[in-house]
Amino acid sequence: MASHSVIDELKRTQILELLEQGKRVDGRALDESRDVSIEINAIPKANGSARIRLGDTEVVCGVKIQPDRPFPDTGDKGLFICTAELLPLSHPTVETGPPQPPVIELARVTDRGIRESHMIDVTQLVIEKDKSVIGVFADNVVVDYDGNLFDACSYAATAALLSSKTPKWNWTDDAPVLAEGEETQLPINTIPVSVTMAKIGNHIIVDPNGDEWASMDARVTITTDSDGNICALQKGGNDGFTLDEIVKCGETSIKVGAKIREKLKAASQGVQ
Amino acid sequence: MADKRKYVIPGDVVTTGPFRPEQNVILDGNKIISTTVGISEIYDDSVKVIPLTGMYIPKIDDLVIAKVISHTSLSWELDINSCYVGFLPAQDVFGRDFSAHADELTSKLKTGDLVAARIANFDRTRDPLITIADRDLGKIDSGVLVEISPSKVPRLIGKRGSMIQMIEEATEAAVTIGQNGWVVVFCESSEGLLKAKKAIQMVNEQAHVANLTDQVKEMLDKKGES
Repeated sequence: MASHSVIDELKRTQILELLEQGKRVDGRALDESRDVSIEINAIPKANGSARIRLGDTEVVCGVKIQPDRPFPDTGDKGLFICTAELLPLSHPTVETGPPQPPVIELARVTDRGIRESHMIDVTQLVIEKDKSVIGVFADNVVVDYDGNLFDACSYAATAALLSSKTPKWNWTDDAPVLAEGEETQLPINTIPVSVTMAKIGNHIIVDPNGDEWASMDARVTITTDSDGNICALQKGGNDGFTLDEIVKCGETSIKVGAKIREKLKAASQGVQ
Repeated sequence: MADKRKYVIPGDVVTTGPFRPEQNVILDGNKIISTTVGISEIYDDSVKVIPLTGMYIPKIDDLVIAKVISHTSLSWELDINSCYVGFLPAQDVFGRDFSAHADELTSKLKTGDLVAARIANFDRTRDPLITIADRDLGKIDSGVLVEISPSKVPRLIGKRGSMIQMIEEATEAAVTIGQNGWVVVFCESSEGLLKAKKAIQMVNEQAHVANLTDQVKEMLDKKGES
């Protein structure tokens, strides 16, 4: 997996030296994320899709919406499942085969951020209680890797869901039957935005690129909803964060997240 | 001297006749056929194709820049920007009295360290054996790593080192070129460093251009004035 590639010691030293002066290798401010470009409906045949470029990291997300059996304990709620995978062409160290632990973590963090924000009102996705519900599946594919897949996948899935149109099914003769031509927007409550921060030495930087990702000591991914509430958090790496640092990260994630939320909103509204 | 330079793809007949097939060509009857995408060069008695792309295949005695990716108790594994992983035995660094119990490999080289190294032995059936026991070889403590395509390395060096000498003189940088396409640039001034990096990238991107030396010289002179 790409995060296991070894960074050369000279570059790591350079990154650290620049951070001591308050600078970053690509000239960004410490709390500045890379440019996000959002292309909605990148896959015309999907129910919803988006292609995200976060600097040189590129992710394509496709949304499939279809009737499904509900889980036995939540017969009054629809399904939402988000996955992520890396294509071998995304980075020299990525190989085909079953996903490695970092990729499983990527899928789980992306899923959790959207799920726990209650972005999709799953109670409206019921066709027949306990028998059939609407399932929403958002699948992320990483096409190009340059660090911070957490945020790129999160933005791609969110943008794809915002632009998704769900067909309508009627419950007839104990089976869901597609009602032709009745497409609606997904019931959206809020727009979750994840912001990943890396700790290198004693410095905390937003949206680490590939080199920064390879040289970081710890990371934290915080997802906030439209009201500025924190709804999910994932910490990784061997080093720790102090209480003050975590509080500061929380504030940064709200501040940076608000800007990106506007971009996601603008991109999806441009299409509707 | 070479004439009749032309672009070829795998399967193209470069020429026919009594020529000796050299790199990236095969002899089929009296036809000399290219095996790669590149520029063909026909000399007085031999034919070769200079690849436009491709990865690094180790050759004995090549100077390479290598990156330590891991180690066992007896050897280091080096990334040499190839499909083969470089193998550096501990005896090479610690000497013949190396003891796996007493000597800690990480005291000399850790993961992520860059070394200037030489390919000591390689025959495609085993991973290339690396040595750093020579003058000018060993750990690189300062500088910046620039990655270029291994097929562009001869162009970066130039005829009898003309290109790289020009870059070094204009920027006062010290450039170590590995045959594997990894280049370490060291320069006291950050301006010279940036200029040298830019020149190297320029060679990498425009290696096929005819009067590249003049263009690089122009770029180096122009930036010097501003």
